[in-house]
Amino acid sequence: MAFYPEPVARLIDAFQRLPGIGPKTAQRLTFFLLKRPAEEVRELSSALAAVKERIIYCTICFNVTDQDPCRICADPTRDAGVLCVVEEPNDLLAMERTGEFKGRYHVLLGALSPLDGIGPDDLKVRELLLRLEDGPAREVILATNPNVEGEATALYLAKLLRPLGVRVTRIARGLPVGGDLEYADQVTLTKALEGRREIG
Amino acid sequence: MQIGCLVLRDFRNYQTLSYRPTGRLNVLTGRNAQGKTNLLEGLGVLLTGRSFRTSRLADLPSWGAEATMLGGDLIHTEGTRTVRRTIQRLEDGTWQSAGDLCPWARAIVFGWQDLAILNGPPAARRGFIDGFAARLFPGHLPALLRYRQILARRNRLLQAAGAEGRLAPWDEQLAATGMELIDRRRRAVAALSTELARVYPALAGERHKVAVAYRTSLGEATEPAALLAALERRRAEEARRRLTLVGPHRDDLAIELNGTDTRTFGSRGEQRLLALALRMAEVLPVTEAAGTAPVLLLDDALSELDSVVGGNVLREIHSAEQVFLTSPEPLAVNGAARWIVESGEVSAA
Ligand SMILES: Nc1ncnc2c1ncn2[C@@H]1O[C@H](COP(=O)(O)OP(=O)(O)OP(=O)(O)O)[C@@H](O)[C@H]1O
Ligand SMILES: [Mg+2]
Ligand SMILES: [Zn+2]
Repeated sequence: MAFYPEPVARLIDAFQRLPGIGPKTAQRLTFFLLKRPAEEVRELSSALAAVKERIIYCTICFNVTDQDPCRICADPTRDAGVLCVVEEPNDLLAMERTGEFKGRYHVLLGALSPLDGIGPDDLKVRELLLRLEDGPAREVILATNPNVEGEATALYLAKLLRPLGVRVTRIARGLPVGGDLEYADQVTLTKALEGRREIG
Repeated sequence: MQIGCLVLRDFRNYQTLSYRPTGRLNVLTGRNAQGKTNLLEGLGVLLTGRSFRTSRLADLPSWGAEATMLGGDLIHTEGTRTVRRTIQRLEDGTWQSAGDLCPWARAIVFGWQDLAILNGPPAARRGFIDGFAARLFPGHLPALLRYRQILARRNRLLQAAGAEGRLAPWDEQLAATGMELIDRRRRAVAALSTELARVYPALAGERHKVAVAYRTSLGEATEPAALLAALERRRAEEARRRLTLVGPHRDDLAIELNGTDTRTFGSRGEQRLLALALRMAEVLPVTEAAGTAPVLLLDDALSELDSVVGGNVLREIHSAEQVFLTSPEPLAVNGAARWIVESGEVSAA
C-alpha cells in the first residue's frame, strides 16, 4: 500500500472502513472507479455528500427522510392508531415492501445490547412514550429483530407499555432464527405480521 | 444410513483421498500419526458439517492450504444424496464453512476425550448430553447457541456498574430458553438410561447396575417461572460475584455404576468401557429420532479393554449399521472390511 499515490491510498482506506469490505475489494473498487468516466464518479461523490447533507431523521417516527415529518407520518390515510416499532429504517422499508401494513412506525435506532453498552436511554424509547401520551394508539406491534437483542428490546418495551393500557403485540417467530427483519422475504414477513400475538 | 464414498482434498494430512468403505464394519489400522483419527474427523465433517475435535475451522485444511474440500455420497433407503463442503479462508482472514447438510445424517463418535465424561469437569458431561440431545432434537443446538448469547449478555450486565435495573428482559429470555434446554436434556437422559441399562452389561459381560440422572438446582421444576424465581433468590449473590449462578449452564449429570459415582471409582478399563457404553447407548434413540441408523466413528475403542470385553464390544458393534473402527494394532475381526492407513492414504488390507 505504501507505493500507491496518496489519493488512491486514501480512497482504498475509506472503502475498507465500510462493513464487509476487505483490502482486496477496496483495491478493486478503487481501480474500477479510476477507469470510469469523470462524470460518473462525480455523480457518486455528490450522492455520498447529499446523503449526509439532505437526509434527516423524522422528528415523529425517526425514520430517515428528506422532509419532516416524513411521508408516512404526513399521510392522513395511514392509521395512527396502530404503531409498528422497528429497530432500524431498513426494517421499516422491509415492512413497507409487504404492502400489508397500513399503520404508522416508530424507529428505535437500535436495540438493547449489553455487549455494545446500549441501554434504553440510547434508543428512541422516551420519544415513543411521549408519542403515545400525545396520541394514544389502539395497538403497538413490536417488530424488533428475532435475535436475542431484539427479543430483549421487545420484552422491555412490553413491560413499559403495559401500564398505558395499549394492546401490545409481538410479530410471530416464523422468521429465520437470529436473522434480521430486513433480509426476510415478503411472504415470511407478512406471515410474521399476521401471526402476531399479545405479549407481556 | 451409510457413507457410500468420501472424497477429501487438502484435509489435515490427506492431500487427495477417494475412499469407498463398506456399508457395515470397517476396521482401519495403521501406525501412530498416519491419519486414522483425521479420516474419522473427515467422515464426521461430511455428515454433520462440524468437527468433533475442534471448533476452529482453520485447523482442518492441510497446513499451508487456503481451502479444503470434502465430498461424498450418503446412502439412505429413500435414495442417495451427494454432499459437498468447502472450508476456505476469506479475504478478511476469517474461515468460512459452506456446504450441504442432510437432515437425516448423524454421526456418533467415540474417542479418548470421552473419558472426560466420567472423570472430567461438569462442562464435559453437559457437552456430552447436549451433543446427544442435538442428535435427537433438531431444535436443541440453535436453542443452546441462543442460550449462550443470552448468558453472555446477562453476565455483561452483571459486570457493569448500576445495570441491575436492566436485567429483566434478559432474565425472562434466560428462563424461557434455559427451561427449554433442561427439558430436552431430561428427555435425552431418560432415553439414554434405558439403553445404557442394556448396553453396559452386554459389553461388560456381567450384571451391573448403571444409572444416569440429570442434576439441576431447580429440582423437578419444569416451568420457566421456577428458573426466574431462582434467579430472584440468588440476586444478591449474583451481584456480588458478577455471574449468572443458576441455569442449565450450571447443571450436571450423575453417572453411577453399582451405586458408586463414576468420578471416584477406579479402573481405567472400566471407565473406558462405560464411556464407550454411553456412546453405544445413543444408537437406538438416535436411530428412532432420525428415522435411520447413525454412522459410528469409533476411534481406538478397544484399547485398554481385555480380550473378553473387546469381543463383547465387537459383537455389539456388528449389530449396528455402518461402523468405522480404528486401531493402531492389526485387528482380526470376522466379516469386517480391513483398511490400512499410512501417510494420508487408505488402502485395502
Ligand atoms: N492441518 C493439518 N495439516 C497437515 N497435517 C496435519 C494437520 N493436522 C494434523 N496433522 C497431522 O496428521 C497426522 C495424523 O494425525 P492423526 O491424528 O489422524 O493420527 P492417527 O493415525 O490417528 O494416530 P494415533 O494412532 O496416534 O492416534 C499427524 O502427524 C498430525 O500432525
Ligand atoms: Mg488417532
Ligand atoms: Zn415519520
